[in-house]
Amino acid sequence: MATYTLRKVLSLIPMMLFISFLIYLGIELMPGDAVDFLIPPDALATMSAEQLNAMRESLGLNDPFLVRYFKWLGGLLQGEFGYSIQSGVPVATLMKNHLPATIELTVTALIFSSIFGVLFGVLSALKKGSLIDQVFSLIGMVGVAVPQFLLGLICINAFALHLNLLPAGGRMASAGQSFVERLPYLVMPALVLGFSLTAGVMRYARSSMLDSMGRDYMKTARAKGIPEWRVNLLHGLRTALTPVVVLIGFRLPMLIGGAVVIEEVFQWPGIGSLFVNAVRSQNTPLVMMIGFFSVLLVLISSIMVDIVTAFLDPRIKLG
Amino acid sequence: MKVKKLLCLLLSAAMLAAAVAGCSGEKPAQDTAANAPEATGGGGSEEPGGNAGSDAQTAGTPLADVRVRQALAYAIDIDAIVETLFDGKAEKAVSFTAPGDWLNTEIPVYEYNPEKAKELLKEANWPADYTLDVVYYYDDQQTVDLMTIIGQYWQEVGVKAQFRKLEGDLASQLWVPPADMVNGPAAVKWDLAYAAVAALSESEFYNRFASTASNNSSVPRQDGLDELIERSNATMDTDEQKAAFKDIQQFVAENVLAMPLYHQVCFIYTSNDLDTAGSVFGNDQFSYEKNILDWTISRDDHTMYTNGGPQEFFWYPMVNPGYMINTELVFDKLINADSSLNPTDGMLAESYTVSEDGLSIEFVLRDGLTWHDGEPLTAEDVKFTLELMLKAPGTNAVASEVMQAITGAADFISGAAGDLAGVTIDGSKVTVSFDKVSANALLVFSQWPVLPKHCLENADPAALQQDAFWQKPIGSGPFMVDEVVLNNYATLKRWDGYYKQGTGNIETIYMFASGENDSNLVVNATAGKIDYAWSKSTDEAKAIEALDFMSVNVANIRYTRCFYINQFPHEANIK
Repeated sequence: MATYTLRKVLSLIPMMLFISFLIYLGIELMPGDAVDFLIPPDALATMSAEQLNAMRESLGLNDPFLVRYFKWLGGLLQGEFGYSIQSGVPVATLMKNHLPATIELTVTALIFSSIFGVLFGVLSALKKGSLIDQVFSLIGMVGVAVPQFLLGLICINAFALHLNLLPAGGRMASAGQSFVERLPYLVMPALVLGFSLTAGVMRYARSSMLDSMGRDYMKTARAKGIPEWRVNLLHGLRTALTPVVVLIGFRLPMLIGGAVVIEEVFQWPGIGSLFVNAVRSQNTPLVMMIGFFSVLLVLISSIMVDIVTAFLDPRIKLG
Repeated sequence: MKVKKLLCLLLSAAMLAAAVAGCSGEKPAQDTAANAPEATGGGGSEEPGGNAGSDAQTAGTPLADVRVRQALAYAIDIDAIVETLFDGKAEKAVSFTAPGDWLNTEIPVYEYNPEKAKELLKEANWPADYTLDVVYYYDDQQTVDLMTIIGQYWQEVGVKAQFRKLEGDLASQLWVPPADMVNGPAAVKWDLAYAAVAALSESEFYNRFASTASNNSSVPRQDGLDELIERSNATMDTDEQKAAFKDIQQFVAENVLAMPLYHQVCFIYTSNDLDTAGSVFGNDQFSYEKNILDWTISRDDHTMYTNGGPQEFFWYPMVNPGYMINTELVFDKLINADSSLNPTDGMLAESYTVSEDGLSIEFVLRDGLTWHDGEPLTAEDVKFTLELMLKAPGTNAVASEVMQAITGAADFISGAAGDLAGVTIDGSKVTVSFDKVSANALLVFSQWPVLPKHCLENADPAALQQDAFWQKPIGSGPFMVDEVVLNNYATLKRWDGYYKQGTGNIETIYMFASGENDSNLVVNATAGKIDYAWSKSTDEAKAIEALDFMSVNVANIRYTRCFYINQFPHEANIK
């Protein structure tokens, strides 16, 4: 296991280098540059080419592509995350300021969706064909089919604008508020995000559970006289969880990348909206670092998924 | 929204039907305006100038022929567009100048007249196989709809056009002038560019037509126009300025140097919780006296809700000095302006005097001025700000022009002089001397704030926006920045140290984070969390108008949407 993990971790290095180069190249291929965002289009007509060039020079945008990339990489290797082109604020500070909001939202939604997704999925499988199964299947279909932004807008309309139960957006009313005081702000975005995520987990859990329930080892367990609930929980659910864990594992990068749509709809000041703004404004250092950590988390999640699935399913051997 | 879309569709369908009828030899349906025989107004030009009499195919571009430009203007029914696409919440433009004191009402007006357009195109020998390359840079649906409708109108008179959205470096694609301002060729590829001018002063509309303008990419040197423009810039007398601009408007309209389409209006939203003490609203893209210290709010916590809070930073004021309410309220200017942006009494300056020859202005600062952090605000801060404005890129054109007219500006910019010689200090007196009369000097001093030297003296002027100061700026205005949660909200707190105290009760201003366009404005307003805000969006105005606890006030502003017409010789971009 240790050798496997070490080998996997080492393989991340060339992969990360390659992916970071691709992201940098992708930003480079976008038309325009950060200056085009800093100066509104209507005001551009009043600026001379020399002024624009001076801005580009001072922001380091006049260097050739490869020079800029290796400068960024060199900085990263020395622990320098760079500065936002738009505000001059260190990227690390920006991420530090925005990550708590995103983690608060996504962790809540992930926990909610993992628990309820697995629970409803397993119940649905155990009661296959029953009313419960049909209701859960319908909820699952709705959750997958209805776009998050639409569900978000419906909820804002209903619970904030008409019933006046919850705030329409934002994360807090003032900086000094405790988590409990901020809870009303979290409820709607977390539940909407969680609902969409639950639907996926539920459908996976149901089909996986159904699959494992028909396996020989389940019949063997029953033949040994093990109680039905133990058969289902210890033998069925354990192996049925494998694909579900994969699904949940690959959602971990949301912790860094954020839930862009939900953050936009609910004015949630997380890293998702920061990332979108950074891409739109071609704020390369910021895009690179958010992208870099997202990719890193994808790769780490992949290793973690391998390890956890090996633990869950005795048939899987790492190495 | 649905009704608007339906009307747009009906309009497009009607035009298509008219075009089909025209092709089959039937006379297209016309409304009353369509029967107008020619340009109305005292200056209507039956005999077009420019290249009239020659041939649209021989001048290097068909658009060099004024008859073609007039035909394109005659072909568009702006009244119908304003009524349908903008729900009547915009104003048809006959000139860049909006209706009011500054508009010359005698200029030619190209009322919708497709028959006249066809006639002019025929006279000009319009090349039927030519396809106009029309560019725009806005990414909203309304612009796409507008371009589609205009394309249909032109098609109706036999002009083909393709529309494309520009991406990337807009400045180099739109505003690069040719090396030869008489003969060209053009340094840009397009035929027409849809753009907007948000002007602080009239000169912003018209200076760009001068052959010396650094952003004139479309209009070759015109006999007499440079002199007219120079005349408008050489006086601080408002009446003389108005007379000069009216002559320019006449020239621009007669020759259709560009095609103004419509003026956008500014919608100012207020809630029933807010009493604005009878303040007159104006152009909220800039700063003017709103008497906010006299406003009262009926909320128990004396908090007024608005938008414009910082997303990643507070915008530095060099480009847009009053666009965001926080800039307007946190930073004070030397002098004040009224809702029409006319300079009025002193602000930081207790008094100011313009010399008789108009070549210098003396400001006397108030006694005991301080910054929000308690540091004294002195004449040195004023001088520092003017120097910073000269060096910071992005300073608005009108402000930049005024700054560059200050004596010694060129030497200061080049580094030949260590400081700006034209700004002298004597205690609390600051005298600004100019090499030539700077028509917009008072206007600029009423809009651009004084910035604190002690906070910004080590900032790199070329990267001013990136300085940490803009994370939580310190100003000298009636409200100071209090809490900042970037991309979420920020609050301003009434500042006790301000030189005057009003009768109002607003203690806190809560600003939701938003950029230039606030996609959450309607939601927040509906939730009762907007007491004051403004926008130029007709959709937002309609939605907020429907809320019975909100009021929508309309202000005419200098904001004109138009087509620039590339009259320099250039290859057809669409083959």
